[in-house]
Amino acid sequence: MDNKILIVAKREYLERVRSRAFLLTTFLVPVLMAAAFMIPIYVTAKSGVSPAFRKVRILDATGVGLGERVAANVRNDKSLPDSVAGPFVVTVAPDQLAAAESSATRDVIAPNQLTGYLVLDDSTMTGSRARYVGRNASSLSEIDKLQGAVRQGVTIVRLEREGVKPEIVDQVAKNDLRVSSEKLTEKGRGGGGVGGFIVGLILGVLLLMSIMLHGQNVMRGVLEEKTTRVAEIVISSVKPEALLAGKVLGVGAVGLTQIIAWFALGGYVTSFLMPIVLKAAGGVARATPATGTAGFSLAAMPWSTLGVSLAFFLLGFLFYATLFAAAGAMVSSEQEAQQAAQPVVLLMMSGWIFVNPVMMNPNGKVAAVLSWLPWASPIIMPLRMGLTTVSPTSIAGSLAVAFVGALAAMWLAARIYRVGMLMYGKKPTFGELAKWIRYA
Amino acid sequence: MADLAIDIRNVVKRYEQHVAVRDLSLAIPRGTVYGLLGPNGAGKTTTIRMILDIILPDSGSITVLGTPNTNTRTLDRIGYLPEERGLYKKMQVRRVLSFLAELKGVKPAVANGRIDEWLERFSLSGGDRNWGDAKVDELSRGMQQKVQFIAALLHDPELVILDEPFSGLDPINAQALKDAVLELRRRGKTVVFSTHIMDNAEKMCDSVAIIARGEKVLDGTVAGVKAAAGQRNIALSLAGSAPEDVFNVLADRALVGKVDDNNNFFELELAPEADAQLLLRRLIEAGAAIQRFELVQPSLHQIFLQRVGATGIEAGMSGHG
Repeated sequence: MDNKILIVAKREYLERVRSRAFLLTTFLVPVLMAAAFMIPIYVTAKSGVSPAFRKVRILDATGVGLGERVAANVRNDKSLPDSVAGPFVVTVAPDQLAAAESSATRDVIAPNQLTGYLVLDDSTMTGSRARYVGRNASSLSEIDKLQGAVRQGVTIVRLEREGVKPEIVDQVAKNDLRVSSEKLTEKGRGGGGVGGFIVGLILGVLLLMSIMLHGQNVMRGVLEEKTTRVAEIVISSVKPEALLAGKVLGVGAVGLTQIIAWFALGGYVTSFLMPIVLKAAGGVARATPATGTAGFSLAAMPWSTLGVSLAFFLLGFLFYATLFAAAGAMVSSEQEAQQAAQPVVLLMMSGWIFVNPVMMNPNGKVAAVLSWLPWASPIIMPLRMGLTTVSPTSIAGSLAVAFVGALAAMWLAARIYRVGMLMYGKKPTFGELAKWIRYA
Repeated sequence: MADLAIDIRNVVKRYEQHVAVRDLSLAIPRGTVYGLLGPNGAGKTTTIRMILDIILPDSGSITVLGTPNTNTRTLDRIGYLPEERGLYKKMQVRRVLSFLAELKGVKPAVANGRIDEWLERFSLSGGDRNWGDAKVDELSRGMQQKVQFIAALLHDPELVILDEPFSGLDPINAQALKDAVLELRRRGKTVVFSTHIMDNAEKMCDSVAIIARGEKVLDGTVAGVKAAAGQRNIALSLAGSAPEDVFNVLADRALVGKVDDNNNFFELELAPEADAQLLLRRLIEAGAAIQRFELVQPSLHQIFLQRVGATGIEAGMSGHG
């Protein structure tokens, strides 16, 4: 009997792995995923804030060279590409300022001339105000950077005026302090907080995608056996339960193969392409630590987390795949199958819609409750574990519940499957379904 | 009764709206070709599915090859061709066959050799193309049926069960199937097949059972069944088109009980107490050009019609071949 389960599983595995669809999804998904992550990096790195500032005019009416200082600060900002030519400075006498402003205004209005202009005057030096006028005035991040540059410039100029040693002023000017974040748990330091976040999210998305994709593959496989009537020959050699088990096992192995291939390929593609992308974007490898150094490698994730995530994947897959199989066994056509599968898909989505709240607060009440629901925990738990530290008791309890849930789903599905496989014609009503389950 | 291939005792199967099989008992001897006859909806397929443990009877017992049919080892010794044919469409023919054989416990290496032999025998290989390497959905319907028949025989089963094997086969493939069945019998295997085509059953079967409305109407050896039906039947052949008077004679219920009119060939059942010689005389007087007038045992077809009743059969369900 066990042997026959393996024979069925072997057929499922080989036929699917050989198929074109499998090769396509296995190779395309990591490429698309990598693209989805790298294109935004490329675009931010490439466009950054630099073009905006390259065409900014600084009208310096302070008479103490504040304009040059501010321009230098913008150029020194390491979050901007090295090649920035920077804003250029026009030194004006205070009484010429109004004329200079109106000419700058004309240039901003004219196409492709000027993005905007910054006015620095005596009131800036006293620390009360500076004005910026420009097309990008509503871009918070750009104004934020400009403001930082002006503040620092004022500080430096005033320090110089107060006779602070030039070396010290230089040091202050070059100060480019950043707060780096690191996750600290009772197990010690591990990975960047942001890296864990991204890996957790990718893991969650991939697991959900796999369960969805391969769960529906199980359903389609069941439906094929039913509509082609090949089921009858197979069931004359194998008990329906064994056929179901072999099918779920075989397709599950396909899913596992695919996930491993995804990670391997995704890791390779990312490590291979990332430097190229960043170089192409202007050599700002050190510029965007949030995404640049977080990495998509699994290094950020400890093996235990990975192992437990895999266990959740398997339980989640068992849970959903058997339910999908039951849906397939209930009906006689692809359209009906989509309908019959809807409750299963909704069940899955009921976990997925909470991914955002859980990400915001991975140790909150919502996350804790979802971890105890067998249809949601396989999606939620790997995510939580990537984001934060979950106590071993919670993990064990959640795993146990998911295990019991999978057993219950298998029991239910096996009964529906057994009767449904040989029933043709109209879709059963709930009453008939209940009879199928009691029957056998 | 160790010499029984299948021993069905008092089996009942009820469905929601109707009883598919009621209190059915069949004893199918080993080494014979056995026909399960009956109109559509008589319960043949249900019975076969119960023999194969695909569905469970509500009550009664089924013994196959001397063991209860729930034994998986026993199921491995049965070959089955279902009425509803179908295979994995996107799979290579050779791989499908190998898979089905492996499920019956045949090692892949052994199965491979046999697949070659069978493909050759049913002319699916050796010609301009080796269909073993093709995908199932590239095959014609007839070829797919042959592949299914091969699948039923690959593991060299002791008992072969064929559900409506002749439906959809052209005369050439039907003949190939008949030859294969008779060869199986020569090798001591038991073959059970269901059909509503009485000619095939009469020519091929050692024994038959007629089932209607879930009940056994009669069973026994073909010779026995026919002998029991008596010799009150006449085979009549006429040359050319018969004059009207001939039909008046045939319509005389004092002489003829039933007529099966096949245009130039008639199968008649004499009315009770009627005399065959008188009938012959009357036919000649009516101007019939008689080519054949023979007292015969009734055909299975006649017995079937008589026992099941034409009313229990939809039109065309019981024609000759």
